[in-house]
Amino acid sequence: MSAAIVFQGLTRRFAGHTAVADLNLELQPGTVFGFLGPNGSGKTTTVRMMLGLLRPSAGSLRVLDLDPIADGERLRSQTGVLLDQVGLYDRLTARQNLDLFARIARMGPAERRRKVEAALKRVDLWDRRADHVSGFSKGMRQKLGIARALLADPQLLILDEPTSGLDPVNIKLLRDLLTSLAAEGGRTIFMCTHQLDEAQRICSQVGIIRAGRLVAVGAPETLEGGERPPVVRLHCARPEAARGARLPEGTRLEGPDAEGWLRATLAHPEDVEALVKALVAADAGVQAVVPERRSLEDVYLSVVEGT
Amino acid sequence: MSDFLTVLWKEAAEFVGNRRSLRVFAIAVLFMGILPDIQGTKANSATLVLIRVIYVALAAVIVVAQTAPNLVIHEREGHTLETLLATRLPDRAIFAGKVAAAVAYGYGAAMLTMAIQLIVDGVIRGSWSWSYLAAPIGRWFVFGVPVVLAAYLATVGTFVALRIGDQRSAYLVTMLSLAVIALPFVLGLVTLQASVAWVEQALFTLAVVDALLAAIGVRLFNRERLILYQQE
Repeated sequence: MSAAIVFQGLTRRFAGHTAVADLNLELQPGTVFGFLGPNGSGKTTTVRMMLGLLRPSAGSLRVLDLDPIADGERLRSQTGVLLDQVGLYDRLTARQNLDLFARIARMGPAERRRKVEAALKRVDLWDRRADHVSGFSKGMRQKLGIARALLADPQLLILDEPTSGLDPVNIKLLRDLLTSLAAEGGRTIFMCTHQLDEAQRICSQVGIIRAGRLVAVGAPETLEGGERPPVVRLHCARPEAARGARLPEGTRLEGPDAEGWLRATLAHPEDVEALVKALVAADAGVQAVVPERRSLEDVYLSVVEGT
Repeated sequence: MSDFLTVLWKEAAEFVGNRRSLRVFAIAVLFMGILPDIQGTKANSATLVLIRVIYVALAAVIVVAQTAPNLVIHEREGHTLETLLATRLPDRAIFAGKVAAAVAYGYGAAMLTMAIQLIVDGVIRGSWSWSYLAAPIGRWFVFGVPVVLAAYLATVGTFVALRIGDQRSAYLVTMLSLAVIALPFVLGLVTLQASVAWVEQALFTLAVVDALLAAIGVRLFNRERLILYQQE
């Protein structure tokens, strides 16, 4: 099976600046990808190139094994999109909004009725189907936008800040929906988000873009961005004894915290063994040694802000 | 064709839901329909006939110049343009649908104006005069001029709206563009005898200009250009 999304040296320059620089990425079908980065980092430009709305200045990309420029119409017919601005027609009702996109997807009248009804019910807006969208709250608009993106059962979903404006109940509803969509298999979800917690929960892979460059890619639980010394947490029966231990060179020991954990920052990953030996020799009563995993937020901040 | 009809359907649904557009439409039609017969011009005079046909065209002009830029500006302001561009709709279907919708509103306004003029004529003067429709030149003026003017303004208005953000400025620039095309024909009308042949040639020339503009429009109205305009 060919990759769902492939970027090779993807670059987009505008007069005076480079918005996206040398992006390389390969996502398999069924991947839920979280595209993280601060405002102005190149996420929207990347999405626009994926949809064939902008041509790359250099490099290439294939989406669903199609060239977004040459096969744009075919690609967009297989893609459901929710952009950062939901883009609903305020003068139309909720039903008319979805009906329009069902017509664009060339559904017949019966299929249109069925799918629009199902989509509105899925996001709990069936009772508001005859209301003009102008009276909808931000959360309702967001839900309608999601219903619209899912209307034609697309192979690829591109979602820009999908939970923006949603309350916790609807965030959970959307998270469950995306998880179940991903679990159905085959459908790829490309999601731009600032919600790191959300990305960690939903995404099977994440990428962090900064100033147009993809600076970290991987599974959220294993992502390591930037230079960072290895850290281990230790639980000792006699933590005060650890103070007198002859620690490996460059090791910094902190703690214990309220729960009795010590935190050791090592110069090299292989120093763990020497550290444990030193603590045992100092009779600190080592009970547990746990590598400290950085949260996605830690990685994001270290990559984006250099903290 | 179905994509073009989809865009037309959307524009029609939006038009019905837009009070401002409906108000402009109603005011233009009522004013242009009633004014010629309450100005005190002598019934069935050549002047009244000329005023009537000019007002029919004017109704189309006002409605199209107001509506065509709005079809784009409203999409941009509501952030629906990019969503529409992210669908499988071909560029030319979006462009043609918008232009055709504006032409339809303008032509509809012209025809309604004509109908109101005839009704007002019948009610005020009791003449139920269809005289200006009897002559070929009158029919050309009433049925031909509004459509070529509407097509011209709809195309120009769509492009003006891509570069000018606010509705009033876009309307004014679109109206100004009318002067460019109308002046030679007004001069011709004044200096030359307005024969049927002259009117036919004038309409043909305008239709060619419309076709050229439409061809340029199809080339220029593409996704990347629209996104870049939006980014500026």
